[in-house]
Amino acid sequence: MLKYIVRRLLATIPVLLGLSIVLFAFVHLLPGDPCTAILGQRQTPAACARLRENLGLNDPLYVQYLDYIGGLLRGDFGASVINSKPFFDEFSVRFPGTVELTVAALIFAVGVGIPLGRLAARHAQGWIDGLVTAISLFGISIPVFVLGLVLVLIFGVTLGWLPTQGRIEARAGFEPTTNFLLLDTALAGRWDLFVDVLRHLILPAIALGSIPLAIIARITRASVIEVSNEDYVRTARAKGLTERRVDDRHIMRNAWLPVTTVVGLQVGGLLGGAVLTETVFGWNGVGRWVVDAIGNRDLTIVQSTILVFALIFLIVNLIVDVGYAFLNPRIRYS
Amino acid sequence: MRPLRKGAVLIGVLVASAACGGASSPSPSAVTSPPADGATPTPPPANQAKAGGTLVVALPGDITRTDPALIDDSNSSYVMQQVMEGLVALAPGSTSEVVPALAESWTLSPDGKTYTFKIRQGVKFHDGTPLDADAVVYNYLRWKSFPTELQDYSYYAGAVFGGYGESSNVASVVAVDPATVAITLKSPSSSFLLAQTLTVFAISSPTALKAGKADNTELDISKVEYAQGGPTAMVGTGPFKFKSWVVGDNVTIEKNPDYWNKDATAYLDAIVFKPVAEEAQRLNGLATGEIDFAQTIAPVDIATIRANSELAVIDRGESCNTMQISINQNYVPVNNLKIREAIASAVNRDYLIETFYAGLAVPADNWMPVNTLYAKPLNLPTYDPERAKQLIAESGETDLTIDFYYPSDVTRPYMPDPKGIFEAITSDLEAVGLTIVPKTETWRPDYLDDEYAGKFEMWLLGWTCDWSGPDNFLKTAFFGYVDGAPSTEFAYRNDELEKTMNDALAATDEATAKALWEKAQDLIRADMPTVPLINSTPPAAARADVMGFVGSGGLNEYFHSVWLDR
Amino acid sequence: MSLETPGVTAVAAAPRRAEERVSRGLWSDAFSRLLRNRPALVGLICITAFIGVAILAPVIAPYGPYEQRTGGRLEAPSAAHLFGTDLLGRDMFSRVLYGAQISLQVGVIAVLMALVMGGLIGALAGGLGGWVDSVLMRVTDVLLAIPGILLAIGIIAWLDRGMLQLMLAIAVTYVPIFARLLRGSILALRESDYVIAAGAVGASRLRLLVRHMLPNALTPLIVQATLILATAIIDIAGLGFLGLGPPDPRTPEWGTMLVDARRFLQTAPHIVFFVGGAIVVSAIGFNLLGDGLRESLDPRLKR
Repeated sequence: MLKYIVRRLLATIPVLLGLSIVLFAFVHLLPGDPCTAILGQRQTPAACARLRENLGLNDPLYVQYLDYIGGLLRGDFGASVINSKPFFDEFSVRFPGTVELTVAALIFAVGVGIPLGRLAARHAQGWIDGLVTAISLFGISIPVFVLGLVLVLIFGVTLGWLPTQGRIEARAGFEPTTNFLLLDTALAGRWDLFVDVLRHLILPAIALGSIPLAIIARITRASVIEVSNEDYVRTARAKGLTERRVDDRHIMRNAWLPVTTVVGLQVGGLLGGAVLTETVFGWNGVGRWVVDAIGNRDLTIVQSTILVFALIFLIVNLIVDVGYAFLNPRIRYS
Repeated sequence: MRPLRKGAVLIGVLVASAACGGASSPSPSAVTSPPADGATPTPPPANQAKAGGTLVVALPGDITRTDPALIDDSNSSYVMQQVMEGLVALAPGSTSEVVPALAESWTLSPDGKTYTFKIRQGVKFHDGTPLDADAVVYNYLRWKSFPTELQDYSYYAGAVFGGYGESSNVASVVAVDPATVAITLKSPSSSFLLAQTLTVFAISSPTALKAGKADNTELDISKVEYAQGGPTAMVGTGPFKFKSWVVGDNVTIEKNPDYWNKDATAYLDAIVFKPVAEEAQRLNGLATGEIDFAQTIAPVDIATIRANSELAVIDRGESCNTMQISINQNYVPVNNLKIREAIASAVNRDYLIETFYAGLAVPADNWMPVNTLYAKPLNLPTYDPERAKQLIAESGETDLTIDFYYPSDVTRPYMPDPKGIFEAITSDLEAVGLTIVPKTETWRPDYLDDEYAGKFEMWLLGWTCDWSGPDNFLKTAFFGYVDGAPSTEFAYRNDELEKTMNDALAATDEATAKALWEKAQDLIRADMPTVPLINSTPPAAARADVMGFVGSGGLNEYFHSVWLDR
Repeated sequence: MSLETPGVTAVAAAPRRAEERVSRGLWSDAFSRLLRNRPALVGLICITAFIGVAILAPVIAPYGPYEQRTGGRLEAPSAAHLFGTDLLGRDMFSRVLYGAQISLQVGVIAVLMALVMGGLIGALAGGLGGWVDSVLMRVTDVLLAIPGILLAIGIIAWLDRGMLQLMLAIAVTYVPIFARLLRGSILALRESDYVIAAGAVGASRLRLLVRHMLPNALTPLIVQATLILATAIIDIAGLGFLGLGPPDPRTPEWGTMLVDARRFLQTAPHIVFFVGGAIVVSAIGFNLLGDGLRESLDPRLKR
């Protein structure tokens, strides 16, 4: 197993390297010049020339690439072209925002999706099943930004129950340390703010979690139904085990497999969906930042963020695969 | 077009063109010495004002840096002007009145070259170090000698000082005694004093600058801690102190209880500035109370805000911008004057104002707002589709296809809804028989890059003034030559106009300057190189219990007088 | 963006395909099964309506999509304007109808492009195997590692704004899904008896691929393409929502209309409701139809 993990980790290196080259080439093929991004309407040819020289944009491309990779290896991810902030200064503030959002969405999706799926499977073909199917169909078909807008209108603006934007009440003047606000507020013992952070999370997490929820509910339903028809489940029932015990010990244990796979696969989609969710809820995360960075030709930010995203994607996939092996005794990686 | 604070112009002062390197025009006699009574901003009637509370202010975007000398955007300067002070300031709500700040008074030598500032005594920086002549000199010399690596970020220092180091127009800055600073210029500059009211010329604590590597030894701006929001950034003398900057999320400043001007001590305990890019979010936040004050709102939201008794609209009054249909004369058919006149007659400006500006705008009758110095009515064409059709028929052009651009991802103070405005104008133009090919690009860098390089035939763009002088619009923003030739942007050649504007800038008496600027306006009117549309005043909005705010068309707005009635 | 949605169903569906055999009656069988599947029938009706609206928009719509000042500003729904009007006084009902045209056009072409590109990659990888397979699959890995919407935005930033670019940007995000799906099917089919038999009688590798494997791998692709159309419609709107829609701002594209409508969420919520509703209904239609197709094309799932 350890050997397998190491091999998989090693296999990510060429993917990342390839990605870094593709990204670098892509980003430098983009039309437009960081000169305008910095100097705006005040650019002059002379000022641009000086700027390009200072930013090292006059070096040959391969030199720039090697500089970039060299920086990465030293842990230097470069600085934003727009506000000249070092990448990690801003990333370390925004990334926890995206993580909190996606994790909350995933918890919502799993926490609601699996029980819904099980419920539907137990009452297969009944009206509950129909309702769950309808909910999941709706969840898959409604864009996060439409759902987000509707949630904001109803629960934020009209009813005033929940906040409409941001991660924490600005007035509180809370100074985060790790920027994982749930953690920070808990560590600071500010339980009032902890609750406030949770309240800010609810609407975005629902909006972002709706698609994975729908998918998870479907897969859970399908795999529970499939497992329920297996002989050993019938045997277990025939032996007179309680329905609850059959559920927990025989059905779910086997139905977990496809569900786990699907949950793992959602992470990539969640990171993508976060872009739109962050836009709708004014969420200070990585998603909207990188979209703006693409528009602004903030080359460093685009390259470095997508590399980090890809790394996370690959690691999550690895974890899922390894988890799969633990859950499924029939699969053994060598 | 970075709408920094609009520097306004004292009557009779000609303002040096910022973008052409600060070439200055001598007219020292025109500078009127302001009252040296030491009274800065007068607070509102304080009888019912309550102290305390935190105000949440929504800005259109995040600040870029925390070093006043290394910014050139309105978000950063809006925050900094609460914390930092320069030698002089603009009076609250005014765009034309220079008042003392850290300098109690000043004099100008008869040759117009030496400014002597009396530095206010007993003022302490937020880090406890005293303000004295040496501290002021330290700041000015730092700006003057920025290394090239940092010059990319210090636009205004370069423009106002006319360059850096030896090539700067600033000859010397010396501490005559602990309370007196003398700044000597190589040649007189009428814009110099006014420019010192800009936030970029705010005085920082030299101790903090040195501690934050902002002493011109660190060349990599990403490592200049003073600019990157470190704990000792933004150390000034203002009524508020910098507390923290969480990038992309908020900048928090808190009350400075030891502010030197006891009449202008802040009521608020703290202000949290939040970047809220989406207008819809600002509106939602105001409605739910998550936001107390929105610095800029979409004019179309005014109706919603007025309908809500808990909210109030703030009208800033006078305009300092122009929105126009820009045109590049290298393209057919827009190189034909009749076509340009036709375009001017085809656009229904009143409809635009009513639909997109909620009435907070006027049809432009000049390339600069009416209240600008020397501006005169030019009788530009008004909405008359029949005349437009006739002009097109007379023009003799057969190919009436025009590529027309708008920026896809921004709103500007002069252009609150580029897409909507574009749609309305396009249908006006098509109605008179022109064929419009709609095009769009993202604002930065694509749109600005390509319009500047002359790749656009016709496009929407405008200008928010730096100074409300004619040169800032006619020359800097629009038709001045670049390196001795017509700009690639408009490809508009008029050597006589160029000469007239240069003569006007160099004029030493007001009458000559006035005559020359009026001539320049006539020359432009005759050629109609672009089509000015609208001058607008961008509105703000606040919760109804936010009191004591004084708005200004130039965004030189100070929050020390603001208090919360809750 | 929910790129993973279809991928999941693909994973579940692919292995079954392998055992399938083509019978002459497959399609007619499938169609009659489809008609008996009630949800699928609902989907079919939705889609027929959607396509009908798209094609007949010029006939049904009371106003042209570009026609301004047909009524007042931001009017509430009325008999004259079923869905109300927008800021420029355009009839929202007409614009939503014409919007179906744009979504259908962009969605179908984008999915077809993805199908062709992904199919080619998948067929080459699965059919040739060896280093070609490794290289192509690493490329799709790289593509999959970038969240789809960022990829699409990047492509638009690179190729500039335009309808074709929009289609291409959407298409590229689905290429890896089709590539993996087809490759998986082909790998499974390669081991099937009839392919081995055909190989034994001397059919060339190309012939094996084109004549024997591709036709059998087609059904899961069709199911997948239908499901992806639902996501494509959502993704197009998503790009429009981020301001990256068609270059002509007047184009009645749903996502772009939604951004405009968003600004009037408090004063004119009906616009968000109608435009959002149009997106949801068409996405539901394609999802139902896709599920129905899968069930009816898979003889094992006969009820």
